[in-house]
Amino acid sequence: MEKRTIKEPIRKKWIWIVLVLIMLAIVPWYLPVGSAEPIIFGFPYWAWISTFFSLVLCGYLSWLTIHEWNIVEDIEEAEREKVVKK
Amino acid sequence: MNLTFSGVDGIIILAFYAVVMLAIGYFSGKGEKNIHDSLSGYYLAGKNLGFIALFFTLYATQYSGNTIVGYAPAAYRSGFLWLQSISFMTIIIGVYLLIAPRLYVVSKRLNFITPTDWLRHRFKSKAVTLLGVFLMLWGLGNYLLEQLVAIGQAVAGMTGGTIPYQFAVIAFVLVMLVYEWMGGMRAVAFTDVMQGIVLMVGIVFFLIGALYLVGGNLSDVTASIAEREPAKVGVPPIEGTINWFSILLLVGCGAAIYPHAIQRIYSSQSERILKKSLARMAWMPPVTTGFVFVIGIIGISMFPGLDDANSEQLVGMMANEIASINTIYYWVMVLFFGAIVAAIISTADSVLLSFSSMLSNDIYGNFINPKASEKKKVLVGKVGGIIAVIILLWIAWNPPGTLYEIFVLKFELLVQVFPAFILGLYWKRLSAKPVFWGMLIGAVIAGLLTLTGYGTIYGIHGGIIGLAVNFGIAVIGSIAVPVSSKHEVYAEDISSLKIDA
Repeated sequence: MEKRTIKEPIRKKWIWIVLVLIMLAIVPWYLPVGSAEPIIFGFPYWAWISTFFSLVLCGYLSWLTIHEWNIVEDIEEAEREKVVKK
Repeated sequence: MNLTFSGVDGIIILAFYAVVMLAIGYFSGKGEKNIHDSLSGYYLAGKNLGFIALFFTLYATQYSGNTIVGYAPAAYRSGFLWLQSISFMTIIIGVYLLIAPRLYVVSKRLNFITPTDWLRHRFKSKAVTLLGVFLMLWGLGNYLLEQLVAIGQAVAGMTGGTIPYQFAVIAFVLVMLVYEWMGGMRAVAFTDVMQGIVLMVGIVFFLIGALYLVGGNLSDVTASIAEREPAKVGVPPIEGTINWFSILLLVGCGAAIYPHAIQRIYSSQSERILKKSLARMAWMPPVTTGFVFVIGIIGISMFPGLDDANSEQLVGMMANEIASINTIYYWVMVLFFGAIVAAIISTADSVLLSFSSMLSNDIYGNFINPKASEKKKVLVGKVGGIIAVIILLWIAWNPPGTLYEIFVLKFELLVQVFPAFILGLYWKRLSAKPVFWGMLIGAVIAGLLTLTGYGTIYGIHGGIIGLAVNFGIAVIGSIAVPVSSKHEVYAEDISSLKIDA
């Protein structure tokens, strides 16, 4: 098989551990049931925490997709360049 | 959802959308001579979708009209707990990250058309293939049925009953069938660009209108909710948080495994484009379901005290109020309802195309007439899709009594195919029989729990309980009855990352 560097997300444990930690932070199981105060700009405090970690999740997954996934991209792009040059 | 603000204006806008969709369909099929002669050409746009088309087709397919019409009332009923809609739509990308990188490479190497192609190659078992096809077609059929019902309700609502419900459904279904017939996946993806943009813009304007009505002050909104219904503002009770975890799993695994979702992995022109599209998709939940969530919260203070049935009309009621602000808002709301219809169509067309592809490739091409030309297979799928739509329309209008409840099952059954993908891709010892029994027993458990009224137990969905049993059977069965080393070598080879077959 040809030499290439392969990055596949499933092979890295830390990716999934961090993902689970973010999920654990999004769901407010660790906060007192029924509490809402302080309400800031219309969002109860726990909703801010949850929304913040939801955005962290978006950013994390978006980042992973670009930086931790590279299997055939280099080969495909090299081939594309060859076709363009021809 | 009976709107009084529309009528003829609504008809004009809808006719305009219909013409645009038909034109896009016509031009996307024109000049592509091979589109109707090749399975990959018709169902996967020649596996050559670029970034704009792939991103918008992922977006418009994942977010349906239901994202607005159904999710705003959900936020109305459950309050801030509905923040979960942001995370459960985002986690889908996480599940994609588990399967897509490898499945993309394998699908290009072996020229896959449908998700079933993976099951067939990996397990070489008729039982697994057939059960997989059944569960996936069932999920797709139900999803399509839901969209067909929704089109009628949205159109009839938007035009204030000027266009009767059934006429509306038939007209839009015809438009959809025509452009899909002409251009296949290319038509679906290119119309999705238009439909996706309209949906995004529509949600933003609806939110602006709703905020305008409450004086731009969300604090007062929440304060009034906290006074009247504190449970909707407070940290949810333990069952609510368990349910939140459960829905993350159910939607994450279910939505990523939808056949049309998997076929979008196959359709990408390159890994780079697939990555780029999914990376952008990861940011869409906050600005889509997140905005709709805020709309639902505003709805609580605008129309307090609606019961469950009436809350379903929330979006129509709010649109009425927003439309009466001034002429600009009026037209924005007319456009917005067009956007809802467009969003439903853009989901329905993808689901139908996927349904057809499975009829073409998995049922006809695999079991009935494997020697048929690709052209004939495509034709069978197209005609089969139309017949399926006619049957589903008949079901939508004549709900067969108690049987109707069976049609509620969607994710619960579909998600049972998940282990065959995730374990099949990465664990060479996984064998066909345990996969089959796991899928079957998981589906039966999920189905029975849901049908007997135990949709959730302690907040955990029946589909997830079935999935857990399913995983257990697949894993324990595969360890207890090991496959031959020849089998293992084959499994490793089929799921490898090499490029050439």
